Amino acid sequence: MVNRERGFTLMEIVVVLAVFGAFLWIVVVLTADMRAWQKRMPVNFMTHPAITAVVSRLRKDVQDAAPPYYRETYGNYSMSNRMLIVYTLKEAGTGETVVWDFSTDGEVTRRAFTDISGATSTWTAHGTPTFSIGDFPIPGSPDSVRIQATDKDGKLAIDQIYQPRPH
Amino acid sequence: MSLYARGYNRHMARQRGFSLVEVLAALLVLAVVITTTMAMFVERQKRMQTANETILAYQAISNEIEVRRRIPYSQLETASPNFITDTAILNPLSPYAATVAVSPPNNSVKIVTISVRWRNGQRVERVAITRVDTGGSGLW
Repeated sequence: MVNRERGFTLMEIVVVLAVFGAFLWIVVVLTADMRAWQKRMPVNFMTHPAITAVVSRLRKDVQDAAPPYYRETYGNYSMSNRMLIVYTLKEAGTGETVVWDFSTDGEVTRRAFTDISGATSTWTAHGTPTFSIGDFPIPGSPDSVRIQATDKDGKLAIDQIYQPRPH
Repeated sequence: MSLYARGYNRHMARQRGFSLVEVLAALLVLAVVITTTMAMFVERQKRMQTANETILAYQAISNEIEVRRRIPYSQLETASPNFITDTAILNPLSPYAATVAVSPPNNSVKIVTISVRWRNGQRVERVAITRVDTGGSGLW
């Protein structure tokens, strides 16, 4: 009875392994390709709502800035590469001083101090990358601001230049 | 032959394996499922990659626009045809080409086209801005 049962021939095994091997090869190549690309690219922060909000609000504040544009100090705050103090116009035409505080890792805080009432408003975004603030000299526009952010691997993910618009 | 062996043989005789057509049909269905899944995976990956690369390209283009808007109208043609701003953000797209082209003036209007090409020129993002001779400089 045992003699009547046969297993797989070598050729059958080889063919099955070849087909399965080809399938595995495709999966491995695709995965390696994806990994290589992920290692090369920075994290796409622009898909993160909180980070997009930071960038958008900062852009608006700088573009709406009015003389004297920036302040070295305001209250207890001092301008640095982790803090921006900008004087900007509101929709009603009044001004406010805005302190953008990037000094806490993973957190960005916008504090606004209005001219008239001195009232303050505070808005904080969480889960943010490490931002830094600098200037970017453009001929004829010494008031440009450059905001940069890197991901946890140190890859530059955000690099944007804003400058105040004429009002 | 033992009673057990006789029973086993009868049992086996009643059992049929799959026919060649059945096996082929099953393999065809499996192949379609695997191919579709992998095609979806590859397409998703490709689109994600393109989207992320485009975001980097547009950041560089936006920065360059800020500078090109500030260059006086009369000096647009003589300004560098390469990006003046830092293009470190484009490093993941290497090799890439970041260029600026200025059209000849037409009714005191010049079109400044800012482009980034990568993947051997297969991917291109460009933005054209309009500069008008207002008699002054740095206006937009």
